[in-house]
Amino acid sequence: MNVIQAVKMYITKMTEESGPGMKVILMDKETTSIVSMVYSQSEILQKEVYLFERIDAPSNRDHLKHLKCIVFLRPTSVNIALLSKELRNPKYGVYFIYFSNVVSKADVKTLAECDEQETVREVQEVFADYLAVDRHLFSFNIVGCLHGRLWNQQHLQRCAQGLLALLLSLKRRAAVRYEAASEPCARLAERVRDLLRREAVLMDNNIPFNGDIPTPQLLIIDRRDDPVTPLLNQWTYQAMVHELLTIKNNRVSLAHLPDVHKDFKEVVLASEQDEFYAKNLYSNFGEIGQTMKTLMDEFQKKAKSHQKVESIADMKNFVETYPLFKKMSGTVTKHVTVVGELSSCVSKHNLLEVSELEQEISCQSDHSKHLQRLKSLISNDAVRHQDAAKLVALYALRYEKHASNALPSLVDALKARGAPEPLARGVVEVLEYGGAHARQSDLFGLQDAVKITKRLFKGLNGVENIYTQHTPLLKDTIEDLIKGKLRENLYPTLGGDDGYGRRPQDIIVFIVGGATYEEALCVHTINQAYPGVRVVLGGTTIHNSASFFQEVTSALQGVHRTHTRHIRNV
Amino acid sequence: MAAANDDEILEGFLCPICKADLKSASQLTNHFESLHSEEQDVLRSLKDIFGKAKKIILNTEDTELRETFDRALKFSYTDYYNEEQSIGVSRSSSDYFKGVRSARLERYATETNKLLIRLDKLVCNMPNDHSQRKQHEQEVVPWLDGSSVKLCPNCARTFNLTRRKHHCRLCGSLLCHDCSLFLDINVARSIVDPSAPQTSSHLDHDATEKTGLRLCEHCYNLIELRKEVQESRNAKTALVTAYEQMRSLMDQAKPAVSMYEKMCQSLFDGETTYNLSDVNALRGRIGKLAEGIDVLSKKIATFPADPGTRQARLQNSIRQAAAHFIKEDLLSLPKLPTEAQIEEVRRQRYERAERQIQMERRRMERERERHDELAGPSARERENTTNDHDDDNPLLEQMNIIRGYIKDAREGMRFEEVAILEANLKELKKEYHLQKLSSKP
Repeated sequence: MNVIQAVKMYITKMTEESGPGMKVILMDKETTSIVSMVYSQSEILQKEVYLFERIDAPSNRDHLKHLKCIVFLRPTSVNIALLSKELRNPKYGVYFIYFSNVVSKADVKTLAECDEQETVREVQEVFADYLAVDRHLFSFNIVGCLHGRLWNQQHLQRCAQGLLALLLSLKRRAAVRYEAASEPCARLAERVRDLLRREAVLMDNNIPFNGDIPTPQLLIIDRRDDPVTPLLNQWTYQAMVHELLTIKNNRVSLAHLPDVHKDFKEVVLASEQDEFYAKNLYSNFGEIGQTMKTLMDEFQKKAKSHQKVESIADMKNFVETYPLFKKMSGTVTKHVTVVGELSSCVSKHNLLEVSELEQEISCQSDHSKHLQRLKSLISNDAVRHQDAAKLVALYALRYEKHASNALPSLVDALKARGAPEPLARGVVEVLEYGGAHARQSDLFGLQDAVKITKRLFKGLNGVENIYTQHTPLLKDTIEDLIKGKLRENLYPTLGGDDGYGRRPQDIIVFIVGGATYEEALCVHTINQAYPGVRVVLGGTTIHNSASFFQEVTSALQGVHRTHTRHIRNV
Repeated sequence: MAAANDDEILEGFLCPICKADLKSASQLTNHFESLHSEEQDVLRSLKDIFGKAKKIILNTEDTELRETFDRALKFSYTDYYNEEQSIGVSRSSSDYFKGVRSARLERYATETNKLLIRLDKLVCNMPNDHSQRKQHEQEVVPWLDGSSVKLCPNCARTFNLTRRKHHCRLCGSLLCHDCSLFLDINVARSIVDPSAPQTSSHLDHDATEKTGLRLCEHCYNLIELRKEVQESRNAKTALVTAYEQMRSLMDQAKPAVSMYEKMCQSLFDGETTYNLSDVNALRGRIGKLAEGIDVLSKKIATFPADPGTRQARLQNSIRQAAAHFIKEDLLSLPKLPTEAQIEEVRRQRYERAERQIQMERRRMERERERHDELAGPSARERENTTNDHDDDNPLLEQMNIIRGYIKDAREGMRFEEVAILEANLKELKKEYHLQKLSSKP
């Protein structure tokens, strides 16, 4: 179950079915992202695809009849209309049309009626309808999937279609389970089931029944069950880059930095194309620094040896090793730039201290001490407003029911230090979004006796690394699922539990409201720890704390606060 | 286990099952595959060991650099995602699409064909004289009687002295001058007979009543559509030709590169299948191909195109792709060993082989002694009978023929063939050797 591979194979199929010759690929906004996540520009050039066009771009009338056109679109009504127009006045010689999801017969008919010059050779559905972020991670790039606590209908449809495509692209027929306490999860699960039923024939014809392995499971859960994870500062490479610099479609913009080299205004961080990144995306910050240093030393040594190019033999030698050298030094320079920026952020904004308190609030229990340290950090000018707000939000979630809860005064303190109004409101909204009333799991381990004792022991022994104490709730959920212990009343199976998927080996987890890179790491670790088990994680988007605040604001738009009415100062 | 056994394997290529020393990695693998095929996983681990051994022998700059790169990365990315994965589900609607399309286009097709036949008759025997021309046109297509028509059917304006009645030359219907379109006669000729030479001088200005045929909008569109389909079929520009040439060079280069890598490997293994000069020649040829690709792609990039248009972007992309291909695939060839290195590897190999032969001989002799003791003199006599006619041994003859073939193949740079022939030759030599051993007491 490798989602990058799945999408890549579809794209390769498209480029190969059209045979040799110059090609252009015509896409929409979303399919452009889908392709760019798995194929680099130079890779796709080698497949004879030389032009990338957008269907919604204003068309100019220069015809290139000697080109073969690969059309890759989502089957939306807008796209069908645009494509009809294109086919009436074809700019290219022949067309190979691929839709990224199920297309209706009526739409195919419309297109056929427009093809008066008989330029279309193929019309197909391929199911590459999601963004493959990593081998075990996918997303739909939707921030703000809920609106006023309910699904935005368009996004609901998009997610359901995307999940259908995912199952078809991985050739899995899955049982659908969902978080019982969450209305949006139930809606999505039903919608997915409806789509699966409609495409039952397609499934039956292409995916063989396999009685030997347990039924794969698609588990749909709600971000509100764990609002803590997206609020934490992370110390693994990928998660850290996303939190501090924001990764968008595997790309990081460094344009805001002073004196950054022009090649690094925007850098691509994709594990498929960047060996260093692939090996280090889950390493922690300290390890990366060490690795960097070793590499730099090596390269300095190499570079020096290349400097004395005296004889012809030296020169030949240099030319022969140069491409590899250049390629690697390019990669290393890129990462040095990124890591350098991260480390300057860390020291400038006191992130070590902030992170330590974040971890302690989410994993330990000491109200008065935490409150005191929180206050002192709020009054520290080096701490950014958003970090202060995140800390207060964590405090609000952790000590929601505590007798001497001081949230209103903390909100005042935030305002007093000049934090913008939306940020202060965001803190209360997070509580409204993911407070105890919205969660069905025991997020802080307050009720489970085993967990309480575990935490006690942890406190006694001291922790290994104060910055990585927290493990996401998702880990427990998936491990329960693997062991067949995930309770049916909390996570019901649509259409009833047949008892057959008790210990599933293939698991797809989808988080309504967005996943995080910390959870991606957690899934990666589970994949390694349980041989034979394959877990793929997906989310409406991949969050960092900033986008999570946006998600929360959108989810609460237009509804009155019901559980946090007592906080009046925002 | 791989690490522990490395040294031993490098000493001699011992088969782990029967302990026989085979001379080279490939022979051992062959031997193993043919004789111990049931122990496949051992085979796999064997192959791993060879991979490692090769790496150690091939300690070139590149691998060294890569190893330091790898060593610096302590996190090991395990391959648990690399399971077999087949391409996902897809569904084709092409047949349905084509069904709908052809049903629809059939209507147009009959009509277009009718118009084309008329057009053919019109332009083929068209008289030069103007008045005769009108008569000719009316003979081919009967014109509609317009006496009762008061309005232009297209724009619904009244016909009068200034707005006179006209006829479409293809369907004979009525229309006014403003609604008429004109099809240039030369263009019409080229539609009817695509092989006719096209004179392009008149394409700049629109056709008029004198130089063109008056058509109604409907007929004009059908003919125009036909023309476009025809043009797109014959659209082969200089760009396409240059591009196809470039691709064919690339297609030649790919197998040449993989052949080169194989030959290089074989040299490092100390095999005698290829000469250093062979490999150098092939390297030269790859260089030539790279040069050719480079020249063609540069030529493509400089074809005239307005900056910013898709044509310009297309040409740039092609150049970029070609440059990338040359850089990544053609210029990053592994370095060749020097003569001295090859000598060294070969000498080691030779010594190993010598030792092996000595051992074999001793073993044979021991066995023979035992055998002789058991079988007595009768066996020895039988062997002696095969000994006499050695000079006209068919094996020797065969070997000479094959040597000739190898020479030919080498001159023609058909290195695949060389490899096969060399392997044959080796087998024959072995056979001959064995024959001699068994025939001589």
